[in-house]
Amino acid sequence: MKNVFKAMVAACALMTALPATAEAKLKIGAAVYGLNAEFMQIWAAALKNHPAVKSGLVDVTVFDGKYDALTQQDQFNTMITQGYDAIIFVPIDVEAGAAAVQAAHDAGIPVFGSNTRVNSKLLTSYVGSDDVKSGYMEAKYVLDKIGCKGNVVVIEGPIGQSAQIQRLEGNKKALAECPNVKVLEDKTANWSRAEAQTLMENWLTAHPGEINGVIGQNDEMALGAIEAIKGAKLDVKSFAIAGIDGVTDALLAVKAGNMASILQDGAAQAQGALDLAIASKMPDYKPMSDIWKQYPDMPWADGKAAEYSVPWTPVTAENVDALLALRK
Amino acid sequence: MIQSKPVASRSASDLAAAYGRKYGILIALIVVCVFLTFANEYFLTGRNLLNVLRQTSINGILAIGMTFVILTRGIDLSVGSVVALAGVVSASLATSSVNAMVPGGPYPTVVAFGVGILVGMACGAISGWVVSRFNVPAFVATLGMLSAARGMTLLYAGGKPVPELTDEYRWIGTADVLGIPMPVVAFAVIFLVAFWVLSATRFGRHVYAVGGNPHAAKVSGISISRIRLLVYVISGGLAGFSGMLLAARTGSALTQAGIAYELDAIAAVVIGGTSLGGGIGKVTGTVIGALLIGVMNNGLDLMGVESYYQQVIKGALIVAAVMLDQARHREA
Repeated sequence: MKNVFKAMVAACALMTALPATAEAKLKIGAAVYGLNAEFMQIWAAALKNHPAVKSGLVDVTVFDGKYDALTQQDQFNTMITQGYDAIIFVPIDVEAGAAAVQAAHDAGIPVFGSNTRVNSKLLTSYVGSDDVKSGYMEAKYVLDKIGCKGNVVVIEGPIGQSAQIQRLEGNKKALAECPNVKVLEDKTANWSRAEAQTLMENWLTAHPGEINGVIGQNDEMALGAIEAIKGAKLDVKSFAIAGIDGVTDALLAVKAGNMASILQDGAAQAQGALDLAIASKMPDYKPMSDIWKQYPDMPWADGKAAEYSVPWTPVTAENVDALLALRK
Repeated sequence: MIQSKPVASRSASDLAAAYGRKYGILIALIVVCVFLTFANEYFLTGRNLLNVLRQTSINGILAIGMTFVILTRGIDLSVGSVVALAGVVSASLATSSVNAMVPGGPYPTVVAFGVGILVGMACGAISGWVVSRFNVPAFVATLGMLSAARGMTLLYAGGKPVPELTDEYRWIGTADVLGIPMPVVAFAVIFLVAFWVLSATRFGRHVYAVGGNPHAAKVSGISISRIRLLVYVISGGLAGFSGMLLAARTGSALTQAGIAYELDAIAAVVIGGTSLGGGIGKVTGTVIGALLIGVMNNGLDLMGVESYYQQVIKGALIVAAVMLDQARHREA
C-alpha cells in the first residue's frame, strides 16, 4: 500500500515536472458546473466547435462539475497538476469558486470566467451576459403587452443563486416603471417546469380571471405556466408570458405565439472565453470565432478587457426559424 | 391486528386513543381540509379539488408501487431516476421533432407506452434480482439503480430534453374523461387494482407474509426471492408509467425530471401508516398520505405561504407518522 502511494506521488511529481511545452498544442481546460441541462450542453458543444479546436491549434477538455463546488475544486487541482495552460471556469457557486481561482492563480495559470460570475478579483477576464438586463427585458415585454396595468405573477429561480438575484433585480426595475401593476404572487419553482406548472395551477385557482401576465425567470418555468393555463382550458394568447434562455422548447413556443423568450448566447460565451484564453498565451493571436463579427457591440479590445458582455437576443417571429435551425 | 383486550373493558379515553392511532392520518387529512376550506374561499371548489388530485397522481402512483416494496421490508430509492429514464426513452418514440434521435417516428402511442413501462419494469427487475438473488440490502441495490438510471437517461438523450410529443401521447397527461383529468383516472385505477391485489389475492398475502415474518413464510413454502423480485418489478413499472405521465403533462421529457421523487413517495407511504419494518400497512393509507402531502402543498400555495414551510411541515409529519407507528407496535 505504501509503495503504491509512493509510486503515485512520484508519478504526480513527474507530471508536474514535465514542461508544458512538451506538446506544441495549447492545453486548455474548461470546468463547468454541470452538464445535465440543455444550456450547458450547447455551451460545451460550442467550445468543441471553436475554429481553433477544429484546426488543431488547441486541445480543450471539459470537466463536468456535477453541480458540486468541491468537485470543481478537485478538478482545478487536477488541471494544475497536469500543467494546463489556461482554465475556463463556469462556477456552481459565486463564493465557493474563489478558492479554486486562487489555487490556479498561485500556480500561474490564468483563469477566464464564462456565463456565471465568481466572487474573485483574480479572473483574467469574464465573458457573460448581464442578468439584470435580461430580467428587465422580459418584464418589460410582459408589462408592455398588458399595457402597464393589471396583475402579474413572478416565478423565480432558486432563491440565492446569482441568476435569480440579478434577474429579480431587473424584474423589479421594470415593475417600478408601472406602479399600477400589482404583483399577485411571487415564488420560486427552482427552474423546474413541473414545479412551475403546479404553482401556476394553484395560482389560477386562487386568482380566477385576475392574472394578466407571467414573468418566468427562465424558459422552463414559463413553459410550465403555459401548460397550466392550457390545462385550465384558458387561452394562452390572452396572457403575456416571458422567459429567459432560449431553450428549444421555448423557441417552439415563441413560434406558436405563446410566449416571449430572450436568448442567452451560451455558444458566444464559450467561444469568447476560449479566444481570450488562447490570446493570453499567444501574443499574436487574432480571435477566430465568428462571434466578434456577430456582436459589434462587444469589441475584442485586443483581448485585454476585464469584462465582455454578450448581448441578449430577443427571440421573435422573424428570427426564430434561423435559431431553431442552429439546434440541429 | 388481534385485539388484546375485550373492547368493553376499555375506558372511553383508551378507545379514543386507539381510534386516533388507527385513523390518525385520515383525521389529519380531514382537519387540514376543513381548515383550508375556511382559510381560502377557493379550496373547496370542484376545479381546485381536481387540481389537487392531478398534482397528487404522479406521487400517488409511485407511492403505491413503493408500498409493495416497503411491505416486504425493502425500499426503492430508484423511482425518481426511473421516471426520467422511462420518460425520455418512451418520449423519443413519440416525438414529431425533426431532430428525433430514433428514426422513423413518431411511432404509435401504444408502442411508446409499452416501451416506457417495459423500461421501468426492467430497471425494477434488475434491482429486485440483485436484492433477492445476492442478498444485497435494498437500500444499496436501489441506490445503485438511482445513479445508473439517471446516467443512462443522460447518455440516451445526450442531456437534452425530448420535445414536441404527439397529441396522442400527451392525451394521457392532458385529457379529461367525463370531467376527470386522465392522470387522476390512472391513479384511481391503479389504486383499485393494487387494493385488490394486496387484499384479495394469494400474491398479496405472500407480500405481507414475506415482510411480516420471512422465516415463517419460507417454512410455509413461499418463494421469498420470487415475491421480492416481483415487488421491485411492480414499483419499476409504475415508475415507468409515472415518467410517461409526467412527460405527457409537461409537454417534454426532461433528463432532470423526477429528481428526489423517491423521497416524496416514501414519505406518502410512511405517513400512510405502512411500517418500514414490513408486513404492516395498507395501500389506502398510502393514498391518504399522498393526498395529505398534495393538499398541504396546494393549500399553502393558495394562501401564498412561502414554499420552505411546506418542507418543514412535511418533515414533521413523516416523523410524527413513525412515532404513531411505534406506539401502535407497543400496544400490539
